[in-house]
Amino acid sequence: MHYEIRQRPNFSIALVTFDAPGEELVVEAAAMVAKDSALVMKTSMRGGLLGAAKRKMLGGESLFQNTFTASKAGETIWVAPAAEGDMLAFDMDGVQPVYISSGNYIASSPDIVLDSSFQGGKGFFSGTSLFMLEAKGRGPLFIGSYGGIHPIQVGPEGYIVDNYHIVAFTGGLQYNVKRVGGMKSMFLGGEGLVCHFHGQGTVWVATRGAAALARFINPFRPTEGKSKSGGLLDMVS
Amino acid sequence: MQCELLYQPVSTMAQIRLNAGEQFLVEPGAMIGMSANMDMRTGLASSNQGGGGLLGKLATAAGRMLTGESFFQNTYTAQNGPGELLLAHTLPGDMAMLEVGQQGLKLQSTAFVASTTGVNIQAEFGGAKTFFASEGLFLISATAQRAGEHLLVGAFGGIQEFQCDGSLVIDTGHLVAWDANLSFNVTKAAGGWISSYLSGEGLVCKFNGQGRIWMQTRNPQEYGTLIGSLLPPRTN
Repeated sequence: MHYEIRQRPNFSIALVTFDAPGEELVVEAAAMVAKDSALVMKTSMRGGLLGAAKRKMLGGESLFQNTFTASKAGETIWVAPAAEGDMLAFDMDGVQPVYISSGNYIASSPDIVLDSSFQGGKGFFSGTSLFMLEAKGRGPLFIGSYGGIHPIQVGPEGYIVDNYHIVAFTGGLQYNVKRVGGMKSMFLGGEGLVCHFHGQGTVWVATRGAAALARFINPFRPTEGKSKSGGLLDMVS
Repeated sequence: MQCELLYQPVSTMAQIRLNAGEQFLVEPGAMIGMSANMDMRTGLASSNQGGGGLLGKLATAAGRMLTGESFFQNTYTAQNGPGELLLAHTLPGDMAMLEVGQQGLKLQSTAFVASTTGVNIQAEFGGAKTFFASEGLFLISATAQRAGEHLLVGAFGGIQEFQCDGSLVIDTGHLVAWDANLSFNVTKAAGGWISSYLSGEGLVCKFNGQGRIWMQTRNPQEYGTLIGSLLPPRTN
């Protein structure tokens, strides 16, 4: 199969074209936008009930995934994430796994196995989730996020990323959670804990967070038992 | 300092490159990532013009708090070589790097993201009438002693720059920044309070003089009201 990502960065959508009959793409539930009608869809719990339940509970993915199978070359499928944001496609080499933050998985080759990966105390303390989704295998992997997705090539000198902005990273990287700027920064500087990546590989960060937008909108919700906002003049408008 | 803006205009992120030893002042919470050689210190957001001692520093920091900015500010320093800093604000929208220049700039307070160390930031009373506007009572006044000092601003929506030649009216919720040599006053959009309210325009800012104005193409308060009113009520 081959693919391209269009409408970057805010309304990204991936167009996947199959090269041979029998080729398959595994797609997260509800991520399919459009497809050739001849593509066959099969809904399953990949990895069995236990594996799927673990992924759902721990990795934030849906219980069911859909597998689309091509009946002939040239058939296409469009997939996209729910939020307005970017997508990235990464060709996995069969050697290095990719770790994906909860909720960012969109689609993958059937030769990629997904599992939840315990991040230990690091996940707990950094404010990232306790579990990430681990993708292992070969073929294209599609990931989506709110905002833009920015790749960072991490070299021997390392790179520091704010924990809330991590979308995914390749398995050649390790990270440890550390404090920046001392205790004062942690409580007063608004940054505090960060993830220090080292090793060789790529970490992808999101340039915006959906949670931050939700926090902005929340105060605008009406208050229970009170009129919406302006009171008297609202009746006029 | 070099700045490249990526993922414009909705998910804009600023990629800042600093030379060895160079510093950058950043609003808390705006850092997405940085090279490992960046040192970060949190301090009172003080005027860099020195003097005033602790009391002066406290006064400046308190002033910032009035504008809705944090009391504290983070200083990033590139150590042992060049460094990189990735910065963004929270709302969907564009960013811009503005040169402060001799005349200085005025900012709507939430627009501030970061600045070079030579920029002096002060809270400024925006006039009594701004009290009625949701944008807040205080503005940020940015000045610099020399050329080449910059401010990084973040907006909701796109950033549109235009020239004020003579006189101009702009909705206060769409203001990002303007040249400080422009005189302005906040006033009702229409003749009376009721018609101003009914027009949906509320308060506007009337500018006079020659200078540049940067506006944001969407108003955060209007957006919040639009979405917020569609959501179930909150209990607190």
